[in-house]
Amino acid sequence: MSDFNLEVRKEGEVVVIKTSGYLNNVGGEKISEVCYKEMENKSKFFLLDLENTKVVNSIGVSILIEIIEKLQDVDGKLGYYNLAPIVEKTFNIMGLTKYSSVFNSETEALEGIL
Amino acid sequence: MENLDQLDYYLSSINELGEVLIDAEKIHKIGSGILRLTLGTIMASKGAIIVSKKEKNTHFLATQGFSKEINLSSLFKDLNKNRKQEPFDIDEKNNLINSKTKEELKNQKIKILIPLFHKHDLLGVFCIGNKFMNQSFSGLDIKIMRIISSHLTKALYNHLLIKELDNKKREINLKLLELETLFDISVAISSVLNIEELSEDVLWRSVGILNASKGMLLIQNEENPILEPISTFNWDEEKNLVSKKLNVFKNIKESKKGLFLVEKDKTTLQKKLNEKNLIITPLQVKNKTLGFMVLCNKETRKGVEEFNDLDLDLLTALSNQAAVAMENAALFKDITKEKNFNESILSSIATGVITINILGEIDSVNSAGLKILKKRKEDIIGNHYMYFFEKDEEIIELIIKTETQNKKHTTVNIPFYSVSKETKINFSVSPRVDKEEEIKGLVLAIEDITDVSKIKKTFKRYVSKQVVDELLDDDAKLNLGGEKREVTVLFSDIRGFTSMSEKMEPEQVVSTLNNYFSLMIDIVFKNNGTLDKIIGDELMIVFGAPTSSSDDTERAVKTAIEMQNKIKEFNKQRIIKKEIPIEVGIGINKGLVVSGNIGSRELMDYTVIGDTVNLGARLCSAAGPNEIITSSSVWFKTKNIYSYKKLEPIKVKGKKDEIQVYKIQK
Repeated sequence: MSDFNLEVRKEGEVVVIKTSGYLNNVGGEKISEVCYKEMENKSKFFLLDLENTKVVNSIGVSILIEIIEKLQDVDGKLGYYNLAPIVEKTFNIMGLTKYSSVFNSETEALEGIL
Repeated sequence: MENLDQLDYYLSSINELGEVLIDAEKIHKIGSGILRLTLGTIMASKGAIIVSKKEKNTHFLATQGFSKEINLSSLFKDLNKNRKQEPFDIDEKNNLINSKTKEELKNQKIKILIPLFHKHDLLGVFCIGNKFMNQSFSGLDIKIMRIISSHLTKALYNHLLIKELDNKKREINLKLLELETLFDISVAISSVLNIEELSEDVLWRSVGILNASKGMLLIQNEENPILEPISTFNWDEEKNLVSKKLNVFKNIKESKKGLFLVEKDKTTLQKKLNEKNLIITPLQVKNKTLGFMVLCNKETRKGVEEFNDLDLDLLTALSNQAAVAMENAALFKDITKEKNFNESILSSIATGVITINILGEIDSVNSAGLKILKKRKEDIIGNHYMYFFEKDEEIIELIIKTETQNKKHTTVNIPFYSVSKETKINFSVSPRVDKEEEIKGLVLAIEDITDVSKIKKTFKRYVSKQVVDELLDDDAKLNLGGEKREVTVLFSDIRGFTSMSEKMEPEQVVSTLNNYFSLMIDIVFKNNGTLDKIIGDELMIVFGAPTSSSDDTERAVKTAIEMQNKIKEFNKQRIIKKEIPIEVGIGINKGLVVSGNIGSRELMDYTVIGDTVNLGARLCSAAGPNEIITSSSVWFKTKNIYSYKKLEPIKVKGKKDEIQVYKIQK
């Protein structure tokens, strides 16, 4: 597994961020940077495609929580799809899935996030 | 009346206060709500609520007309020192705050400060500016400030409690995640049996749970001085080659305990990996250290920090689990290898082997069994023997007898009605016992003897009829399991066949070889030799395996002479047909070989191997066209029967000394 990388694209109102690599401090900061920049441009709905992120640590999770809190202030949402079992379990245990949504596929995510 | 109106106004403000406080989780909203309400109630234009933070000195929860650029570093220190909990006018002559801070606040037009103490903890300070038109604050104003500040303090305290609760919840969740990870790995022990997959899973989970930035799992191999990275995470491939002789690994191996390294340790491993913070645990199973787990850099939001004892405890638990799982996976690999080998042996034997479990159900059958039973595996497995062999009373009786008496029973040449009344078998049934001698079922052996001629036909391709008959008459002679025995090997090779075949049509090449081999093999079988191999235009013939007799060497020489004579006749015909004559060189050697079923698990052949065979082939290479060259051992055994010429010793590949060779004088 190599360094953390992002691919960002827009699907209508939704900003889709496809990640690859370890979602840790570095990975989390990169995601938050994109989210906050897009939030300045009035984007409120964000999806993370985590297909190529097989490991996440608690720092990465805490950064996602920050993003969720900021999105809540503007009635925005964060969602995820293509989660590895270890990542989904971590999200569940850390309580992330109470405030953000996990989807089974991109199609489902793009419909469900709005 | 005016006072009553004012009181009414203040009461309505207090009523509004309740609504502001209701959204207790969002402290910023509470702060700005309270500030707006207070300033509006007491008719002040400016104000700020400043809270103390551990990381920063101060934090502005809410401001109105108040610059955040103000330096209030000593304000909290002074208030904490004096512990005054009442609102006070900063113009009053007191020493509650230092003059510099007082000046700063006055520049911001702040008049009243209300320290927000919860018991002895200063949670913040409420700053209030001058009253509208520079009027003085009334006693009622001060009272309402006290009431609102008291509620603000409670809200701040509640918020801190909620924060603390959230942190505790997060800590508990992290512990839960650690336990879940340990549980997952313990599940993997019984479910994941691929070492690579398992080690990757364990490493990834460990890196994530310990907030490490990278990691690797190193396996130690007795012969290799370098620890082999079986799995890596975020680690540069070129930097992960480390010697197991490094003191760190030696110490861990000796103590069987992991450790963490910090910047000041400056070990060779830290230098080699160019990392300051490392945590290393052994993959320990009892007294055996399978390898090591190495993680690096514990991440926090502020950067990297040192690993600690709690991290070491957690990684040790993970490594212990991982080591057991990896040991299991390795054992499974060995068992699978052994099982495949056994199955390969079972499938290579001609006897049908069927195993029956303790409940009387068939649980395995080898490929010979499938052939004899003429059924698919799925139609056999799981059937009770009573049902499966219902047409064969004799077999059922024998099985029951074995079950009750716990000893082997055999019967020969019985009809096997389960297949057809024409099928004849030899049948035996034995108890299947485990290491503790407890019966775990039965093993049935079925030998199909319906068509002995089929066997003869098959064997006749390789050995003469006489040898086949001998083998069928006496099983003891047929030892295919691998043994040392003395044989005479004969190699023949057509000289210059490759260049000769280049001048011929492909069909001619095949027909020449077929005619030649047919003539030669007839002679071989006539002399009871065993055709071991045909390699291109070369023949390898063995005398003395699988059955031996005292005149093996004599028959080998006889065969060689007859072969050369036959070639002369063959060539006469070829010359008449204007075909190129062929010339053959023959080498014969006698000595010890290892004979048996040799080859891969997938493909086994009965053959002989050893130095004797190699030298036989070399002698064939040394023989000129139409010559028969033998070794001393062949010459010695047959010198009284055949005429030999002693040749100059020759040097052969693979032998240090020269070899004495003899040529047969025809």
